[in-house]
Amino acid sequence: MLELRNVSLFLEEKRILSNLSMEFDDGKRYVVLGNNGTGKSTIANMIVGVERYKPQVGGVYLDGKNITSLGVYERAKLGITIAFQESVNFEGITTFDYLTLGGKIKASYNDAKRALELAGLNSEYLKRRVDDSLSGGERKRIELASILMLKMRYVILDEPDSGIDMMSLDTISRIINTLNSSGVTVITITHREEIARNGDYAYLICSGTVLREGVPANIASYYKKLCDRCDHPNEIVESSERAEA
Amino acid sequence: MRIAPNYSKEFEKIAEAYEKSGGEVSKLLDKRVASIIISGDKIIGLNSVDGVEIESGKLEKGVWAKIKILKDKKIEMPIHLCTGFLGKEGEQRVDFDFTVEDGANVKFVSHCSFPWSTKLTHKMFATVRIGKGATMIYEDAHFHSENGGVTLISDTHAVIEEKGRYKNSFELIKTRVGELKVRMDVDLKKDAIAELNSKVRGKKNDEISIVESLGLNGEGSRGIAKSTVVATDETHARIINEAFGNAPYSKGHIECTEITKGDNVDVSTLPVLKVTNDLSELTHEASIGRVNSKQLNTLMAKGMSEEEATEFIIKGLLG
Repeated sequence: MLELRNVSLFLEEKRILSNLSMEFDDGKRYVVLGNNGTGKSTIANMIVGVERYKPQVGGVYLDGKNITSLGVYERAKLGITIAFQESVNFEGITTFDYLTLGGKIKASYNDAKRALELAGLNSEYLKRRVDDSLSGGERKRIELASILMLKMRYVILDEPDSGIDMMSLDTISRIINTLNSSGVTVITITHREEIARNGDYAYLICSGTVLREGVPANIASYYKKLCDRCDHPNEIVESSERAEA
Repeated sequence: MRIAPNYSKEFEKIAEAYEKSGGEVSKLLDKRVASIIISGDKIIGLNSVDGVEIESGKLEKGVWAKIKILKDKKIEMPIHLCTGFLGKEGEQRVDFDFTVEDGANVKFVSHCSFPWSTKLTHKMFATVRIGKGATMIYEDAHFHSENGGVTLISDTHAVIEEKGRYKNSFELIKTRVGELKVRMDVDLKKDAIAELNSKVRGKKNDEISIVESLGLNGEGSRGIAKSTVVATDETHARIINEAFGNAPYSKGHIECTEITKGDNVDVSTLPVLKVTNDLSELTHEASIGRVNSKQLNTLMAKGMSEEEATEFIIKGLLG
C-alpha cells in the first residue's frame, strides 16, 4: 500500500497541502479530482519524489516504510512512476528510442507499436522525434504509451486528458483499464468529472486537503454540483470538513 | 580510385583513421565517387567524376584544392573528403576553394581524423561560392585524439548567389576536442538560403570557440545558425551567433544550446542581431545550463538514473 500520512507542504511560505492523508491499495483505480490550483499535481509530484515537493510535515509510505527521503529514481525502482501533466520535448530522440529508453527496456518494435496504438497513434510515429515537431496532444499520447511499456506497481496519470481532444476519453479509459488489468494501481489526477467516474475510489481535493472521498460516481456528482462554482480555490479548508461520500 | 603504390601503407593508416571518424572506406575507393584523400602535407588519392573539376597542389605544411561543380550538374553521389595526419606532432594546413556553378547540386561528406596526434595544429581555410539556383551541402565530422592535443582552426567564408542554398554542418562529438576555433560566415544574396549547424562535445580542459555569422544581404534571403555544445569537466566554451538583417524581407534565426555538466565548466553564449533594414526580421533563442530538470524527472520516473538520463538527453541533442 502507498500512503500519504498527514502531509503538509509549504512553497515559498505559502501553504499548498495541509494535513492531507490518502491511501492507495494495490491493484485498484483511484481518481484524485479537484479544480485547478487545489494541489492535485502537487500530490502527484510528492508521491513520485520530485525534490521540491517533499513534505515538511508528515511522510510518504510504501508498505509501511517511510520513503519520503527517496528521490524520483529511487521511487521508480520501487515501482512508482508518473506521466507528468506537461509532456516535455526530447530533441533528437525518436519515439521508438523514447519508448524503449534507448534500449534499457528490452522491447520489440511490435511492443512499441502496440503501446502507441493503445494511446491512439499509429506506428509511423515510432520514427518521428519527440520534439516540437509534434503537437502537445501527440506528445501526451507518446507519454501515455511510454507508461504502458513500463512494468510498475503504481502509475500516476496527471491530467492525462490535457492537450487531448474530447474524443480521446475512450483512449484514456482504455489505458487505465489496460494498466489495471495487469495489476497496476492507477492514480488518475483530473479536474473532469467524466474521467473521475472511471475508478474504484475517488478523492476530492479542495484547497490542499481531502474534502471528500469514496465512490467515484458520488464524488463526481458532488464535484459537478458544488465545485463548478467554487469561490475559494486557494483557501485552506479545515480537515474536519472531510467526509465520506 | 587508385592509390599510388608508394602511398599504399600510408593509405591503410589513413583509412583506419577515416573509419574511426565514421567514414566508409569503400566510398573512397569507388570510381563513381569523387574524392580527395589528404595525409599530412600530401594528397595521396584523388578521383573525379563527370561534372566535377578538381585541381590541387602543395602548400608549406599542407595542401590546397579547388573543386568546381559545373553548371547545372547534379552530382549523384556525395563527394568524399578525407583528411588525416599520421604523425604525433606537427602542423597541417588545408585550403579549399569550392565553386558550385549556377544550377548545380552537390553534397560533400568530409571526415578529418587525427586519432594519434598528441600535438597537432590543423588549419582549414575554405571559400565557398554557390551560384544562382545552386545547392551545396557540406557535412564535416571530426575525430581527434583523446589526449586533447589537437588544435583546430577552421575558417569558412561562403557567398550564396540568388536562390542558392547552402547547408553546412560541423560535428566534433565522438572524441575530445582539444582546442577549437571555428568561424563560419555567409553572405546571402537575393532569396538565398543558408543553414549552419554545429555540434560539439567538450571534455576535460577542452577549449571551444565558435562564431557563426549570417549576412542577410539580399532581399528575401533566409538563414539559420544553430550551435549545440555540451560542456563537461573544465571545458571552456565561447559561442557567438550573429545575424545581420541588411535587406528587405530577409529572415534570420540564431539558436544556441549549451548544456553544462559539472561545477568547473566555463561557458558563454552571445547572440548578436543587427538590423539595418526595417523590413528584415531576426530572432534568437539561447539556453545555457544543466539538463532541463523536467526532462530528467520524466526519465528518472521511468527508471533511468540521473547519469543515464543525462547521457540519453545529450545523445539526442548531439544527434
